[in-house]
Amino acid sequence: MHRLLPPGLAAALLLVGGSTWAADGPLGGPPGASSCTGCHASAKISDSVIPRVAGRKAADIVTFMREYRSGAWPSSVMGHIAKGFDDQQIDAIAAWFAAQPE
Amino acid sequence: MSTRRHFLKLGAAAAMTPTVVSAQSAGAGRVVVIGGGFAGATAARTLKVLEPKLAVTLVEPNPVYTSCPFSNSVLADLREIGQQQFRYDGVKRAGVTVAETSATAVDVDAKAVVLADGSRVSYDRLVMSPGIDFNWAAIPGYDEAAAQKMPHAWKAGAQTVLLRQQLQSMQDGGLVVMSAPANPFRCPPGPYERASLIAYWLKIWKPKSKLLLLDAKDAFSKQRLFQNGWAELYPGMIEWVPLSQGGKVTSVDPATLTLVTEFGSHKAAVANVIPPQRAGAIAAQAGVADRTGWCPVEPVAFESTLRPGIHVLGDAAIMGGMPKSAFAANAQAKVCAVAIVELLAGRKPPDPVLINTCYSLVAADYGISIAGVYRPTNGQLADIPGAGGVSPLEAVGGLRGQEALYASSWFRTITAEVYG
Repeated sequence: MHRLLPPGLAAALLLVGGSTWAADGPLGGPPGASSCTGCHASAKISDSVIPRVAGRKAADIVTFMREYRSGAWPSSVMGHIAKGFDDQQIDAIAAWFAAQPE
Repeated sequence: MSTRRHFLKLGAAAAMTPTVVSAQSAGAGRVVVIGGGFAGATAARTLKVLEPKLAVTLVEPNPVYTSCPFSNSVLADLREIGQQQFRYDGVKRAGVTVAETSATAVDVDAKAVVLADGSRVSYDRLVMSPGIDFNWAAIPGYDEAAAQKMPHAWKAGAQTVLLRQQLQSMQDGGLVVMSAPANPFRCPPGPYERASLIAYWLKIWKPKSKLLLLDAKDAFSKQRLFQNGWAELYPGMIEWVPLSQGGKVTSVDPATLTLVTEFGSHKAAVANVIPPQRAGAIAAQAGVADRTGWCPVEPVAFESTLRPGIHVLGDAAIMGGMPKSAFAANAQAKVCAVAIVELLAGRKPPDPVLINTCYSLVAADYGISIAGVYRPTNGQLADIPGAGGVSPLEAVGGLRGQEALYASSWFRTITAEVYG
């Protein structure tokens, strides 16, 4: 983990940070992502009927979000929410959740 | 929730970014959070997850938090008050210092919070999430003593239990009178969910009783969904009186449980007065509340437009299009925590997108929802056009039952994230 890096190496990483930033996304997740965990649990919770998204395949999350957005897949709140995000934002959020432990 | 797991979750994508690295080299910082509700507890906890080197102090006098969301279900005997209560053990495990005392003042110039015993906690950034206080001057006759006769139950806990006891002691056939305030106030659909669930309970236990809902406005959140539900489930039981038909309560008499409106007076067997509100008192003391009683903030880091260096979250803040809900408070707090880490490291916080989702129960197995997506627009958090909406008026495929299940799952999830 980054916190174990000595300061010198940390500084070196900082220097090449531009591409790293783009690859891994901003602190706390891409825009909108942090709101999702209000319903989609970060930790495994046995008594929730709302599926977790952490660790799911990015492509699956993208498919669901696009189908919610178009109405092809029926939903309660997700259709309303997905309409607030464009393809690029959905891709970023999907990658963010896919990178987390299942 | 496992703190370790949460740490991994948020840490995973931050791991190889320069963000945390430079926060380390810049030294961390001190953040004080006033108020341990959904906004404050989330902010404190998320700050420690994002940047463990931060010194984060949560100032909260109550060792147990009693959640307003789902407290209407306590009134209808669908939940016990204990199921609404959460301790700060999870917040402490995350590394937050919890000061179990009141903040009595904010010394803005010295950047310090004054505690009840006179001691001071210095901060580099202050988060204020004081929730609401009642505007006791707004309805003549309605003061803190009157609230023991005519409970507001708009801060959950003893007031919720009192209102439930009054309902249970009431004779069958007794009239329940509720009053709802003008906008803005905590939980816009809350009074209507409450009317629904009281009617749900009356229908079972006091079927001759009725509920009169006096309203200081002419429209309300999820209105058609609620009214359709009332017509379907509780025909003739709930009468809603809007502002234009004399719904605004102008005074009350707690001795006789009488609510007076511009058009007449109503004597109740049980009276539930939800009074006008404003930001928790310390907001005015700190100078972050404006003449409305609420706290204006900018829409990226939710920093006060009146007092730089102080962030205001949750019900106390003016959040543009975003309603005063627990989901919104939690979402704002996570965005604010990121912004504070960035600001302390000398960087510009990212433009956020926030979601709100709010479920209401019309009956135990009948849920309805509203959702919205928000982003900074012209200095305010504004609805993203085309997004957001409420449940369909025509429910198919067991949707209402499904949304009731989603509601309880949401509550389970968010309380685990914040307090678990």
